[in-house]
Amino acid sequence: MNSLLLLTRIGGRPAAFRAEDIGSIVELSEIAPVPRAPGFVAGLAALRSRALTVIDSRKALALANAPEETDVRAPVVEVGGHTYALLVDRVDDVVAAVGEPTPPPATLGSAWAPVAHGMIETAAGPAVLVDVAALVAGPQRTAA
Amino acid sequence: MDDLLADFVAETREMLQAIEGEIVAWEADPADRERLDAIFRFVHTVKGNCGFFDFPRLEKLSHAAESALSEVRAGRRRASTSLVTAVLGVIDRITDMIDAIDAGEELPEGGDGMLIAALEPGRDEPDSETIQTGEQAGPRAARAGNTRSIRLPVELLDRVMSGVSDMVLARNELARRLRDHGADPALQGPFERLSTILDEVREGATRMRMQRLEHLFAALPRMVRDLSAELGKQVMIDLEGGDVELDREMIESVRDPLTHILRNAIDHGIEPPAERLAAGKREIGIITVSARRTGNRIIVAVSDDGRGIALGKLGDKAVAAGVASAAEVAAMTDEQKLDLIFAPGFSTAAEVSQVSGRGVGMDVVRANVERFGGSVSVSSKEGRGTIVFLHLPLTLSIVEGLTVKVGAHTLGLPRSYIVEIARSVSRSVEVDRLGDGIFLTFRGERVPCLDLAEVLGLEQEVDLERATFVFLRLVSGDLFALAVDRVLDNEDFVLKPLPPALEAIGLYGGTALLDDGQPILKIDVPGLAEAYGLASHARIRTAVQEHGTEQTAAPAEHAVVFTSFAGRRRAIRMAPIRHIHTLPVSAIELTDGGALATVDGTILPLLGTEGGTLANDTVTALRLGDGEFELLYAVAGIVDSVELPGPVVPLEGDETLEGTALIDGAIVGVIDAHRLFARHGHAALRAQRPTCRLPGSDPWVASFLEPLIRSAGYDVLGDGDRRAADIIVTLDEEANAGAAAAVVRLRSRPEGTAHDPDSIYRYDRDGLLSALARARSGAR
Repeated sequence: MNSLLLLTRIGGRPAAFRAEDIGSIVELSEIAPVPRAPGFVAGLAALRSRALTVIDSRKALALANAPEETDVRAPVVEVGGHTYALLVDRVDDVVAAVGEPTPPPATLGSAWAPVAHGMIETAAGPAVLVDVAALVAGPQRTAA
Repeated sequence: MDDLLADFVAETREMLQAIEGEIVAWEADPADRERLDAIFRFVHTVKGNCGFFDFPRLEKLSHAAESALSEVRAGRRRASTSLVTAVLGVIDRITDMIDAIDAGEELPEGGDGMLIAALEPGRDEPDSETIQTGEQAGPRAARAGNTRSIRLPVELLDRVMSGVSDMVLARNELARRLRDHGADPALQGPFERLSTILDEVREGATRMRMQRLEHLFAALPRMVRDLSAELGKQVMIDLEGGDVELDREMIESVRDPLTHILRNAIDHGIEPPAERLAAGKREIGIITVSARRTGNRIIVAVSDDGRGIALGKLGDKAVAAGVASAAEVAAMTDEQKLDLIFAPGFSTAAEVSQVSGRGVGMDVVRANVERFGGSVSVSSKEGRGTIVFLHLPLTLSIVEGLTVKVGAHTLGLPRSYIVEIARSVSRSVEVDRLGDGIFLTFRGERVPCLDLAEVLGLEQEVDLERATFVFLRLVSGDLFALAVDRVLDNEDFVLKPLPPALEAIGLYGGTALLDDGQPILKIDVPGLAEAYGLASHARIRTAVQEHGTEQTAAPAEHAVVFTSFAGRRRAIRMAPIRHIHTLPVSAIELTDGGALATVDGTILPLLGTEGGTLANDTVTALRLGDGEFELLYAVAGIVDSVELPGPVVPLEGDETLEGTALIDGAIVGVIDAHRLFARHGHAALRAQRPTCRLPGSDPWVASFLEPLIRSAGYDVLGDGDRRAADIIVTLDEEANAGAAAAVVRLRSRPEGTAHDPDSIYRYDRDGLLSALARARSGAR
């Protein structure tokens, strides 16, 4: 099975999304912040006739020292009927997976472990395979 | 095969829905052959379809119903109540089975035999009874032909809808670019056309989501029939406005509340037959469900002619249930008492019955209806019946709204809550900071106010000196205001649901894109009020408190300041002022009983002329009304309209004044309007209308004169009426000195003749009216 992956970097670390989870990639020009929203919600953006909720992946992972810069391109995912755009450090490339994902190792850390489907080998090296639904739910899932 | 099965299920369901109303109608009139045929066709079709699939039980049931019905069709059997009940039972079972088939479950076991047995000609049903023959008077109008239709998955519709929305946004963007670049006229034409077509398509796409209320109504007769049978009552249901269209999702949302209200009406509203007869009503209660569209809202009214709501008992119950204290109830208006039925944990039924009245009642209905932006209200007359109104927005997803700006944020407020918008700089709003709260005094009401910037946790608070206040009224009646930096625009929001992370904030009710593609959030007004404790569950309580503190929050009243004929500066409260007239002096008639003036074809007493002379050609007069009587108050000149700054200080000595007030540093006497009406109101309209006799023969009299005289407040006496006339109007007759009543003489020719100077040209309307006024004051 040569499934396709979208390779990105989140907080400086390689993170891969399954291509079938990604609806499209948009260029975010303007993000309207939402007052009183939890920190990992960067705001709202428009994708054609829909409002996207923009999730800052680094904050959703509660990563302490993430780089300031984000890619203007953001993968768009749909979870539970809602559409989200994910802010990542960088959108790298679409690569083919090499083999099947393996269960996440115990040393992944408390930030990454809850959002990891597992580890995946790609042509560009290993990456954490991200569980999109867990990512957009934000950091409160760790408390739960 | 699966597809076929799905089609079978869908088709059968559709038929089931259509058939329910027919069955009840058939029961009401068993001779209605057309209804019978429709039901027969249904069971026949089900039976036939079962042949394709392997549903032996379904087949057996439908077969049994088919044969029973065909007996009736053949005239060998009568459609008795028990037969109808049995057929209904079979149809219910078919519904259950279809549901089970759809869910891929086993069919519910057992009981079929009993149902089939019930279809057999029974003991209680004398077979010999003659069957009502003789067709109805003329065949029923042919049912509207089946419009051709196809079934579509909802997702497909939604995809088309969002595609159309995308196009609209792209169109708006294009329009902006065309404008910016100074569009080539060669482009403009086709673009306009495209734009128009797109609007039409959008409307069509919106309509695709609409469904006629009939879909909802179809199930009601059956429900009413079952419930009334269960409760031993006789109820007829009348449905109106089934052709009103509503968003499909809205129809689903309104189903439960409507059912609940109907249950209440049958259970609590409609009396048992004996009680109805004793009250002089028909044995059969009537429930009317009517729907109509007004503007952007649909109003569904459920009315019954039952016993109505006894306000006294309602109050007692509220006290017993701990919803309100006895003192609070005592202070309530009737309207507030009626509103008690929406209080949580309140049930009006004397006894808890099977059907309704378990304490979860109208409060749940109200909560459900408000959830999708509607509202519920009730009105009732004891002994006469109750009407419950459901006000529903046309669609769930499109909301009329107002965009406001706070700091850098643009937010949407749903239009339906907004009652008024006022700017701080207009000085019509008084701002007080009490504790941490902001309170506004506006139009005599003290209104709590939230700083939207503070609510949103923004760094910069709204500058209350320059703020705009949006006044919002909750469905419960509570009023509060939001302070915002600026109000931007009116727009229709196409609302999309919020993702969980944003919904959890509890402030927002959805996202929408503005016409320029900017995403905004809609404020959840009830949620906001709830969060800040502004939506008092017990609206009653605040109302009572307001009652007690009325003095302190005295409303700022407006008044008109003027110069009186006697040269004094006076003020009169704004409330009774209807109009300001400029009257020609010729319209004024000074009589011994006071001055009268004709305005717009009516004669009104004119006050305020004492102490001055009517020197000019015209007189300015305030027309005052108390809702019943009207009178005029003459003024020498109007100075200003002001807000009465403080309380009016009562004044001894001058009876015409209510008191004095300090206006712009001067003491101004405030006219006692109440006293004006108390003294002069009766003169405006005498309890008995004065009578007038008209010359009979002339057709001009009937078509021109009579309406004019009537509108001037006279009863016109007919030829046969022997009552004495107060005034006699003559046309082209010589003056007759011996007449018992006052006489107004008209002439046909404009120019007067030398020997008849007092007569009035018949088209001299003002002259005629003032002559009437003169004659009348003379006649008294």
